[in-house]
Amino acid sequence: MAGSIDLHKISRFANLAIPSTAALAFLGGHFVSFYFHFLTVTFLLLTIINIFYLFIQKKHTILRNFGILGQARYIIESIGPEMRQYLFANDTEERPFNRIERSEIYRKSKGIDSASSFGSQLNFDNAEIKIRHSMYPIDRENIKQYALTFGEERGVKEPYTIHKPYIISAMSYGALGENAIRALSRGARLAGIAMNTGEGGIPKYHMAEGGELIFQMGTAKFGVRNDDSSLNTEKLKKLCAEPTIKMVEIKLSQGAKPGKGGLLPKEKITPEISTLRGVPMGQDVVSPAHHIECTCKKTTVAFIKNVQDACTIPVGIKLCLGKISDFHEIVLEMKAQDTFPDFIAIDGAEGGTGAAPKAFMDGYGMPLMPSLYAVNDILVREGVRNKLKIIAAGKLINSSKQFIALALGADAIYSARGFMLSIGCIQAMLCGNNTCPVGITTHDPSLQKGLIVQEKAKRVANYVHGLEHDFYEMLAAAGIKDTKNININQLYIPKDTALAGQINELQQKAPTPSA
Amino acid sequence: MKPTAQIISWILQLTIITLLAPAAYAKLTAHPDAVALFTTLEMEPAGRYIIGFLEAATCALLLNPNSAVHGAILSLGIMIGALIAHLSKIGFDNMFYFSLILIITSSAIIYLRRKQIKSIARMLN
Repeated sequence: MAGSIDLHKISRFANLAIPSTAALAFLGGHFVSFYFHFLTVTFLLLTIINIFYLFIQKKHTILRNFGILGQARYIIESIGPEMRQYLFANDTEERPFNRIERSEIYRKSKGIDSASSFGSQLNFDNAEIKIRHSMYPIDRENIKQYALTFGEERGVKEPYTIHKPYIISAMSYGALGENAIRALSRGARLAGIAMNTGEGGIPKYHMAEGGELIFQMGTAKFGVRNDDSSLNTEKLKKLCAEPTIKMVEIKLSQGAKPGKGGLLPKEKITPEISTLRGVPMGQDVVSPAHHIECTCKKTTVAFIKNVQDACTIPVGIKLCLGKISDFHEIVLEMKAQDTFPDFIAIDGAEGGTGAAPKAFMDGYGMPLMPSLYAVNDILVREGVRNKLKIIAAGKLINSSKQFIALALGADAIYSARGFMLSIGCIQAMLCGNNTCPVGITTHDPSLQKGLIVQEKAKRVANYVHGLEHDFYEMLAAAGIKDTKNININQLYIPKDTALAGQINELQQKAPTPSA
Repeated sequence: MKPTAQIISWILQLTIITLLAPAAYAKLTAHPDAVALFTTLEMEPAGRYIIGFLEAATCALLLNPNSAVHGAILSLGIMIGALIAHLSKIGFDNMFYFSLILIITSSAIIYLRRKQIKSIARMLN
């Protein structure tokens, strides 16, 4: 192109200039001053590297065509993510969370007012679900305090009541480092909310802080397994007797990688983790894709029953929706066996604290909002909605998204990344490399040292406080006195959204009794 | 990095340190031989201190597995300089073979630890 810089020409010049400079410097060193040989050596080394790039290596076209200047491309490319995040990406374009979403959490966590001015930066002409307020808002004092009791339907011996709709979603010791787990767990205790342990075996560091926990049983059943990864009931009973364990969650699938088991990269397996989980070091730990006991709807429901019989606390399941018909069938099976989990956690495909193959992270599973609607709708149709609670998970990090999930049928909210952001996550997206720069998803002591448990625990509590404040303000604005009355009529759903498509599809089959 | 490669690399690193540390010490403490050498090169005293400091830094870098490859690159550079000095000003003596050995050992370390050079490692992955 006329007028543009001819990089090929420049690189040919450089490829000639480097050895020539070495030769000139040699002459200078020989005849003028020996100090010139500092340049001789430098350019000689560059010449050797350049010969390697141009004539010996065969893998990289750019280096073979352009030589050492071509290297600049790789160096610049390697700092691209940081440059984009800090300098060039605008406030609303980053994924999975843009700068506006992240800074709202940072402000809430630090207890700073998150009011903003001059209008929203979101696109209002487009497909965005909004919440309808009332013409007649009410006073906050008139709103009934939120409370939700798990296990009341089945009459379990030790039901569990939460007083805030938030639960820290599954993050295991292994995925996260010791300091991060302690900060989250202590923060959860300060805030009066529960935390899910993730499938990391005996939740030693979660329990160390004395907060209330939901023990997650993944497909490999770390901590409560036999060698063939079947359930060891005795170990489960022993664990459930711990006073901090309030519920058990059987993980059937997960939003980040539905249809695949958990994955802990080998870089993150320390001797301690290998003991807690009962797995070898030096290789990735890949959990099976399904529980060995669960091969069809019948055995899956029977397995839920088995676990419920072994525990005196509520037992629920977590899944990411694939085929809606699969879910419908399992609900019918639950009716047939008269066995219902005490809660179902619906994980949207946008969920993502877990390390997962790109194809699964990006391509598999249904997003949260349509699947939440579908699950609630099926349960209502089958007349069993009152048999269990629904927890929603999947990028529910801010108050309005959480409100939308509650309106679509959720009873409580799971969030993992929201809480990671609250303890200082900067979305460097290095969770699987053990090099997290803020010491959250790493076991490297030199990176964890900056994460002060006491400080960050306060941030978690502040974040919950901020969310709760917004929640009641929003209820007041919508004129809702009891949180149980939040429903889909509270939402403005543009017809181009995935949710609207899902609603149409299900309503065309048969209208929902309650709708 | 395979364990054998790691062991070989450590042996080579320690070899360089054993040879280079006394040389650095002699230069920095103005040993008469070192002073004589740098007088011939007309670099006395600044050049002697610069090279002495670089040699000491090389030893330090070679002691840490994370920086060993950079130590080896530095040592390669210094020894190429030494080779030039022998070929152009001083002439052949024992020190010529000394620098030749160090060039070979440094190159071997660079080869063994090539994946630790960050910008190159990114391309080789």
